Amino acid sequence: MSSSRPEAAVTAPGAVPASRKKKVSPISIVIYVFLVLICVTYILPLLWVFNVSFKTNKEIFTAPFALPQEITFDNYAFAWTAGHLGIATLNSLIVCVVALVLSTIIGSMAAFGIARMRWKGSKLAMTYFLTGMMIPIHCVLIPLFTRFAGIGLSNTLVGLILPYVTFSLPITIFIMTGFFTGLPNELIECACMEGANIFQIFFKICLPLSRTGLFVTGLMTFIGNWNELLLAMVFISDDEKKTLPVSLSKFVGPYNTNYSQMFAAIIIAIIPTIIVYCAFSNKIVDGLTAGAVKG
Amino acid sequence: MDKMLRNKVSILIFMLPAFLLFTFVLFIPIVQSVYYSFCEYKGMTDPVFIGFDNYTALFSDKTFGIAFKNSMFFLVFSCVSQLLMGLLYAVLLTNIKAGRNIFKNIIYLPCVLSSAALGLLWMFIFSPKLGINQLLEGMGIEDPPLWLMDTKGFITLPMWIIAFVALWQYVGQSMMLYMAQISGINKSLYEASYIDGCTKFKTFRYITLPLIRPMVATALSLNAIGSLKFFDLIFNMTEGGPNHKTEVLATHLYQQGFKYFKYGYASAIGVILLILCLLVTLFINKVVKTEQYEM
Amino acid sequence: MKKRKILATLMTAAIIATSLAGCGSSSGGSGGSSNSGGSSGGSSDNSGSSGGVQEITWMFWDDLDATEDLISLGYKETIERFNKDYEGKYHVKPITTNLEEYYNKLNALVAANDTPDVFIVSPGPQLTDYVEPGVAAPLDDYLNKDGWKASFTSDAVFTQQTYDNKIYAVPLNTAAACCFYNTEMFEKAGAKVPTNWDEMIAACDKLQAAGYTPITISAGTAWCLSMVAGYLCEAEGVSLPKLADGSASWEDGKLESACNKLIQLSKYFQRTAAGDTNDVATANFYNGEAAILIQGSWVIGQINGASPEFEAKCGVFQFPGVERVIAKSDSLCMSSTSKCPDGAAALIKYFTDDTAQKYTAEKGGKIPVTKVQYDTAVAPKQLGYVMDVFGSAKGTFGFYNESMPTTETGAHFDDTMVAVFLGDLTPAAAAKDMEDYYKANCRK
Repeated sequence: MSSSRPEAAVTAPGAVPASRKKKVSPISIVIYVFLVLICVTYILPLLWVFNVSFKTNKEIFTAPFALPQEITFDNYAFAWTAGHLGIATLNSLIVCVVALVLSTIIGSMAAFGIARMRWKGSKLAMTYFLTGMMIPIHCVLIPLFTRFAGIGLSNTLVGLILPYVTFSLPITIFIMTGFFTGLPNELIECACMEGANIFQIFFKICLPLSRTGLFVTGLMTFIGNWNELLLAMVFISDDEKKTLPVSLSKFVGPYNTNYSQMFAAIIIAIIPTIIVYCAFSNKIVDGLTAGAVKG
Repeated sequence: MDKMLRNKVSILIFMLPAFLLFTFVLFIPIVQSVYYSFCEYKGMTDPVFIGFDNYTALFSDKTFGIAFKNSMFFLVFSCVSQLLMGLLYAVLLTNIKAGRNIFKNIIYLPCVLSSAALGLLWMFIFSPKLGINQLLEGMGIEDPPLWLMDTKGFITLPMWIIAFVALWQYVGQSMMLYMAQISGINKSLYEASYIDGCTKFKTFRYITLPLIRPMVATALSLNAIGSLKFFDLIFNMTEGGPNHKTEVLATHLYQQGFKYFKYGYASAIGVILLILCLLVTLFINKVVKTEQYEM
Repeated sequence: MKKRKILATLMTAAIIATSLAGCGSSSGGSGGSSNSGGSSGGSSDNSGSSGGVQEITWMFWDDLDATEDLISLGYKETIERFNKDYEGKYHVKPITTNLEEYYNKLNALVAANDTPDVFIVSPGPQLTDYVEPGVAAPLDDYLNKDGWKASFTSDAVFTQQTYDNKIYAVPLNTAAACCFYNTEMFEKAGAKVPTNWDEMIAACDKLQAAGYTPITISAGTAWCLSMVAGYLCEAEGVSLPKLADGSASWEDGKLESACNKLIQLSKYFQRTAAGDTNDVATANFYNGEAAILIQGSWVIGQINGASPEFEAKCGVFQFPGVERVIAKSDSLCMSSTSKCPDGAAALIKYFTDDTAQKYTAEKGGKIPVTKVQYDTAVAPKQLGYVMDVFGSAKGTFGFYNESMPTTETGAHFDDTMVAVFLGDLTPAAAAKDMEDYYKANCRK
């Protein structure tokens, strides 16, 4: 199947006559059928859990695939309030937004320093930050935990934000350095002639010009932190400070699990992301691609 | 201007926040982690240096053996499968004329969703009483497999399932990277190759593949590190069970560190994980990324 | 240009403000959203910022708001009652996790020097983990005051909580692991309630011949299967203390024959036993898909809650062939570093007062630990049967996985039993595996 691709690449620009004829080749039917099947595997599970989330525990056990007998939002209401998902969503939002803002600012500052400032250690600094991309979060879990516990940062949102910011830095620096290096030299020269200082050049000229980069890194950090489970699970024990992924496990009791509410919780956890994704999907996908290619 | 860009104070201001965070939240903890790995450290008492004992203990730890094997399996599987499927999807999608964005967005969607939530979802889908087994039995298939509880074979069935779920979730990432790279290839290259009489397959082999090679390296390193860090899905689907058969390094580390509070031992697992990540990245970049082609 | 500079400064300030506000709002929200919604108090600070109210932290392994477990709901009521009665003096702030994460989190808090004032622990190695390093405080002084100790059924309820003649935890209720059975199915199949192993097999055969699934059990939740294995080991005369000090060996054939019996019994399990979780196995029972459920008596609340009409046809018998029953009690410890020990002790006492103990029996379906008089007509029928089993038993023993030297050893036992059930290990190999594990990790 892959062999057919260069043809399309060639015909695509001048393919107007061909597509007007609406001649459908068998091979493209096969491709479409295949792609539709693939997409079904993506949508069906989500629909299934959506369906189940309206059922009672008993219905789930007896008829997991049937439509719910009646549509009620009890499961959702329960998960939202009693399951603390409301406050968990708020916590996730706080942690992710703060981490996003901080890591973008700090990261792009460092990226600017590396890409634009002239100093001997800039290459070395870049390598230093880039090694961070290879380091799994698990390796620092224990020392961070004991350290944070010692200075009273465990079980606080700040204790989550700090590592989140730090672990977002390498990718931010990586992508933003690419963007800053790509800016024309004349721009900075010009601004310099007009009497702008270096911080004005950075905040007023370079940052706005790298909006795409900011968007991409911001998204990546936000999504990554929004879904992060391990750190949040280890660091946070207070119900009122738990983030969304951690709260999902609340419905597992000592001797029984509250299935219907757990399904509602799963939906609550993924619906905001799906909505945001649907609203911006093209921008997100293109942005992420742009970022990846830059790197 | 040169003077401004060489100003030590401004360089310091740009670099310092990132440097401090990085050093204190990432670098020093790693050094600490390496030290702990040579210690008997049970959490409630201070670490005591014991040399290589933790590392020798790793060799006789059966669960570590399983975890290591599974992590390696996972690494190879996800690199190969994501490379093949990612390329396949990318090639197909750059080939079709209508609906490209829809397919692309659907396939990419799970990448932005919480793997904790998706893990729970798939756990239920594969559980004997609720999910697909009910469907299979409805279709008259007797004794459908116990997807997540089977323990036969070198790589157990649950491990394959988890690997496929991971492929399902993350293949969009690789696909996007390859698509971006393919659509960046200059169309005239293909036209030239057709004029020269190349077959479609040859064009793919000699033009597309070499030109996306750098991206293959990037995507592979991302996959490799991602699969070594892999935690959320397994934690929510099987928690390493049955009988530790689906344990990977990250889950074993979590269990030893935070369930049984063997900080020293868990740190040793973390150090192994770190070394693996570094080795794999180096290896991929050495083997795959040879030279950059001009596009 | 100056304007822009100001703007930049403002932006930075705004960021800092957001981050601060973020932290502020999160900590401010703590009291308000907790179930009782009282004043949030000044964390564990003794002086207390809000008018001298001392906050007592209480840690538990189930979410009090999201739970359906009747015992957990009873604890919630008790705490609300306490908060009301001591309003203005003490305020309890529950810290909850799910059971899986419970000890991880508790240990984390201990390590952070932030031990909750009162926390729940299973008697056995887990309790030892907190008694030995001095995390848990002895409670004798409080127990001996105001006849608190005399209100308990006997001093024997403290056996598992006593170290060096000092009591380190107060039991709240007892649950016994029994066989629950569907009387209707037994009748239709002509099966008799078994009293020994052979009768058990005979009953299962009859049930199977009548087209029923004889036993529903969960191997997906390892401790459920391990509980049955514990009974089988007890029937063979396995002695855990002897195994721990090395005067007995796992390879003496007892575990092997227990494992063989487990395999024999597994022929009567529901087909999906290997993958079913605890909940699914229980649901199988009250949905009338299987005849026997081997579970702790905490399951009574779950059964009657999900399927009230089932109560009438649910019988209970002791696991055949053993004289002692597996019993488990929820026990509360007090932190030795508590800044408010009197409040903590008062809180613990509330869990064993008549109101709480009545609830335990009448609604929760667990065996009370005090001499409280409860209304047997209101209490679930099954509780009466469990009490009978409990009364006729010649003593109790703990869950196997909670009676081993370390928590990890217990988990290893669970896993080994699941492996035997799944056919990954032969009984002999399982015995060798356990012996090797004990040699390497448990005997010094």
